[in-house]
Amino acid sequence: MEKRICSLTIFLAFVSVLASPFVAAHAADPIVIGVPTSTGFVEGKEGLAVVEMAVEEINAKGGVTLGSEKRPFKVESIDIRDAAPGVPVPEALLGLEKIILDKKPSALLIGPFRSEALLAGMDIIAKYKVPMLGTIAMSPASEAKIKKDPDKYKYIFRTCLNAKYLVKYLVAVMAFVNKEFGFNKVFIMNQDVAWARATADLIKKHYFDKAGWQVVGHEAYPTGTLDFSSAMMKVRAGGAQVILPIFDMPQSGILVKQWNAMKVPALLAGFISPLAGPGAWKTFDAKIGGAINVNFELGSAMGSPKVPCSMDFLAAYEKKYGKPMEAGHGPAPTYESVYILAEAIERAGSIDPDAIAAEIAKTDRTGVMGKIKFDDGHQAIFDMDPKDSAVACVFQWREDGKRVNVFPQAIADGKIQLPAGLKPVK
Amino acid sequence: MFVGTVVYALINSVILLLMAIGFNLTFGISGVSNFAYGAFYILSAFVTWMLMNWIGVPYFLSAVLSIIFTAFIGAVMYRFILIRVRGQVLSEVIATFGIGLIILEFFRYLGFVGIEYSLPVFIDHSFVIAGTYVDMQRILIVVFCIVLILLLWLFIHHTSIGLAFRGIAQDERTALTFGIDSDWIAMLSVSMGAALAAIAATVVVPLGTISVGEGYDVLINALAVCIIGGLGSTGGVIVASLVVGFAQRFTDTYIGPHWTMIVSLVAILLVLIVKPSGLYGKQKELEERI
Repeated sequence: MEKRICSLTIFLAFVSVLASPFVAAHAADPIVIGVPTSTGFVEGKEGLAVVEMAVEEINAKGGVTLGSEKRPFKVESIDIRDAAPGVPVPEALLGLEKIILDKKPSALLIGPFRSEALLAGMDIIAKYKVPMLGTIAMSPASEAKIKKDPDKYKYIFRTCLNAKYLVKYLVAVMAFVNKEFGFNKVFIMNQDVAWARATADLIKKHYFDKAGWQVVGHEAYPTGTLDFSSAMMKVRAGGAQVILPIFDMPQSGILVKQWNAMKVPALLAGFISPLAGPGAWKTFDAKIGGAINVNFELGSAMGSPKVPCSMDFLAAYEKKYGKPMEAGHGPAPTYESVYILAEAIERAGSIDPDAIAAEIAKTDRTGVMGKIKFDDGHQAIFDMDPKDSAVACVFQWREDGKRVNVFPQAIADGKIQLPAGLKPVK
Repeated sequence: MFVGTVVYALINSVILLLMAIGFNLTFGISGVSNFAYGAFYILSAFVTWMLMNWIGVPYFLSAVLSIIFTAFIGAVMYRFILIRVRGQVLSEVIATFGIGLIILEFFRYLGFVGIEYSLPVFIDHSFVIAGTYVDMQRILIVVFCIVLILLLWLFIHHTSIGLAFRGIAQDERTALTFGIDSDWIAMLSVSMGAALAAIAATVVVPLGTISVGEGYDVLINALAVCIIGGLGSTGGVIVASLVVGFAQRFTDTYIGPHWTMIVSLVAILLVLIVKPSGLYGKQKELEERI
């Protein structure tokens, strides 16, 4: 009997020694996060960088708790190139499908840049049932699609600002300028692309026309425009007090330089993507003092001391990558999305897509953008106070090269300063 | 506003001329359509940026080194690739366009995206001209372009290489009988065209930022101006730059900037319908007469 027990013990010990690597391997099986994005563009490049940063932070603490084990995240990315001009939507969709089939991710982050690619891609995501936290494409049409068929599209969420909220912020800034200085003459300049045209038209229709503003001019500029002198002359001739620019092309920095060089006595307040990050000061030869810019999410290239973790996030990024963040749209919600996903997996206790999606929908997290909750269209809710919702931030470039938050008031660190030659009218 | 528009239209014309002159020179001498022209423009700008920011070379020395480097790459492109397909127009276009794509997309692949890539203006100041504020860089572009055209004229008319350029441009076979090495001259013309693209980048890029996509825009602008002016005709390119430059700015001011891109295309179509060889082109004159 003793001999049998001894043999069995030795056998079990032998089996456990042999099996231990497999058990360990299983325990360390990573949870794959797929990142399909346009890595050739700064928002995609920095978005992928913050995913890796967040994953490193989570893995350094052992990974994601799944039942009784800790599993690390692993990042797989693909350049779907949809942000590049001329790249057809089907090519982006092929990339999306490829990463789902090849890498078997448990979730996708960032996603398409262009809304038409997102809208078409939603069916692929629904087909393969992979939760996605999108952080770039902004069309509210995706929310409408989710609301229309919530069961099919329950896997799709958006953590970044959408176009409706962008309009809301720009309108709020214009109303604030009107209240503070009495300005009511505006010149609208937008890039001649669908999202910028729609944004400008909505602001005009829902605010300027109703609030009694005089729209001195409204012009659309083709992507790649290199000279804005005509508009600057029209602003001066028409007596516009505010210029509302809506651009995301690299050349739009020329507009700010010309506004400065031509000494146009009007407040430049709107969205010009190249002005978002600290590098803009050097890029544009220190010629952007006075310009006011909307960064789509707090934490994307601009933090606030009133939300300390937004400052920590930017400092950690600079420490890791050796240079400051420049994209004003994407990185903060992408970083938050990694944590939202980790928390959802932990709450769900599995990587079943339906369970993860159900838990993401219940998100109630405070992070670098403020408080994040999703509405019934799976859109993160943005408002004016980071204690209650996610927030965008509106800052002004000052003549000393510093950026100061001026709106919303909950995170404002200073007041708007007017350019030389422009006086308040109240 | 009219005077201001005229001032900026003139500046716009000069910028277009700078962007097109190298493409035109190469085609006029060697008959090579260098579709890598826009890529050379961006290559030069990035090389200048890298020399300044990575190695700490002073701006003007960086610009000079970058122009020399771009000219060298142009020569290499001719010596190792174009020489094999010279005279086969379609092959030349495909080869140069492919090389341009490789250069531009390689920069994108390496991560040269974002707004941090820019070159500083030469002098940071603004002037009032006829009641309109104009920055010093734009004024310098005009002055620089005038000097460049004069130097090019002197080079073409009063140096032995310049005369060889003209000889090859007029009749390659006859030039060969005079001992002019047409391949050597063609290589020099491609190299010089690339150098002119680099020179244009040095003075124009400080107005904005360096972006890969601009390489394609520069090529389109150069093509538009050269087709309207007549491929290979320097006078034609100057006139076409003025026509397109003024049309663009006046469209901006009096019609709407979203029509500006169409102006160049409509001008190309009209010229192709009325005079397919361009305003001063000689390429198809015989066929047109027949």
